[in-house]
Amino acid sequence: MEQSGTTALLQGAVQDLASGVVSALRGGDHVTVSGAIGEDTPTANLVLPAVRVLGADLLLPRVLFRSQPDLAELAVFRKAVESFPARADAAPAVRWSHWAMRRTLRRFEAAPDGAPGQDTAPDVDTDWLEGAGWQYLTHQLAVLAALAVPGEACAVTEVARSRPVDVARGFVRAVRRRDWQQAAGAGRWLTLLDGVPAELGLETGLDFVELMGGGDPRVALQIQAARVMRAAGAVA
Amino acid sequence: MTSTRLIHSVGVRAMEWLWAHRDGFRLDVDVDPDVGFLERFKPVGELALICKVLLREGVAGSRQAELARRLIDHTWRDTLDGGGMLVRGQRIEPISPIPFEVYLAYKELGYSRPELERAIVLNHRLESWTSYEVAPTRRLGLSAFQRRFGLVPRPPEADLVDTTWLARTPEPWTVTTRIAYHLTHTVFHLTDWGERPEGLPPRLADYLATWLPAWLDDWLDLERWDLLGELLVVDACLPRPTFDERAWEGFAAAQQPDGAMPAVRSMPEGEPDEVFDIVYHPTLVAAFASVMATSRVLTELAHTAS
Repeated sequence: MEQSGTTALLQGAVQDLASGVVSALRGGDHVTVSGAIGEDTPTANLVLPAVRVLGADLLLPRVLFRSQPDLAELAVFRKAVESFPARADAAPAVRWSHWAMRRTLRRFEAAPDGAPGQDTAPDVDTDWLEGAGWQYLTHQLAVLAALAVPGEACAVTEVARSRPVDVARGFVRAVRRRDWQQAAGAGRWLTLLDGVPAELGLETGLDFVELMGGGDPRVALQIQAARVMRAAGAVA
Repeated sequence: MTSTRLIHSVGVRAMEWLWAHRDGFRLDVDVDPDVGFLERFKPVGELALICKVLLREGVAGSRQAELARRLIDHTWRDTLDGGGMLVRGQRIEPISPIPFEVYLAYKELGYSRPELERAIVLNHRLESWTSYEVAPTRRLGLSAFQRRFGLVPRPPEADLVDTTWLARTPEPWTVTTRIAYHLTHTVFHLTDWGERPEGLPPRLADYLATWLPAWLDDWLDLERWDLLGELLVVDACLPRPTFDERAWEGFAAAQQPDGAMPAVRSMPEGEPDEVFDIVYHPTLVAAFASVMATSRVLTELAHTAS
């Protein structure tokens, strides 16, 4: 019971963080996580794990709107990265997710001259996606939706770019299964890909996923991220 | 690559079940008028259409072909009383399209009932017959059947294609079971039940080739064998069929040792007639999908060899 209770609390903490990101993506408040650290509340010790679960998307509004996180925000993010290193034998998606956080961290830990930190090469490859069926591919990409950021290419992005129709099929499958989290993640990827069949109706599809599953802030986060990226693409 | 033997064996077993249960294709002459005498004609018409496909494709083994021929003969002579029941149905509901829809396959196989044909030709002149309100895909089918019968289709098929769901190539994630049945039948009618795959416009073939994998995956996991079988027919009608291995293996595994194909999940329980009414259609579809896919596999082999 304690285990499941903790899991539920962690999920709640992740959702709270996601809600903050959604709000920031909508142009509202910025994400606040620092205040919870050190507080003597039952959920205070869940902040870092929750940041790790949400991953690089915690700072997504800063990335997309090109603003600088405040120092406390960045400190919590760094602490989560350092507290939960990805083991060498962890699943590739876990290692990529951790790498995405490290990349984001470097981006904001600018050199004194203001130049962004250099990305280091990821210590994980995309072999596990080689020859993957479109169902598994889409599932894994949705798990790694935090990597779907404009102008931030990596090996996973290249795999996604080479298989737009497969990801579109995965979106259809996820919607049919009412797996809104996966549908939203796949939809975010599709926003970035060329060669997505027009008849997919992606824009309406994203609205549909939000309508049906947007009560979950993690779903709303992906949808809002996709919208911001689409708008940025339209401007660019 | 899906085994041709597996695909073929699904059809062989389905035909054995259909032959063993041929008495299930029955009419109800004492039916409640509210239900309608023509209600029970649908299974007979579908059987005739599928048997015609089986004889046409010429890839069935001799046993299968013999069973198809005997089933056609049995239902024409016994169930339909040599076509007399179709005439009777037409007299009860003079402008119903059902007797015509059932009759066409028999006519194409050489059976004849001139009295019914006179009614069909007369109905074809009626505005009312042309205006009879049915789903767009069935209207497309009625015009296709008129062409096959030798009549000028009213309305022309070209005017009807765009009234179907499929022709609009809508958002593929909105497909429901009902929509999926409409789109499979649109493909059946556009291709004359698989006889002319080229009847499927390239635009629609591309759309289906893109999204069919997602739908096959879904209805396989839902264990909706009847619809999955129809989707496998659609695959076999495409310029480059995939013969989806996972779908075919799941479909074959769902088939019972005696050849019956459950409609959904597993076999229903009940009186023999009730069970027949539920499983005859998926079993017919299994025979249809098997013969179409086998035919396409062999065609591809022939092209590879030459």
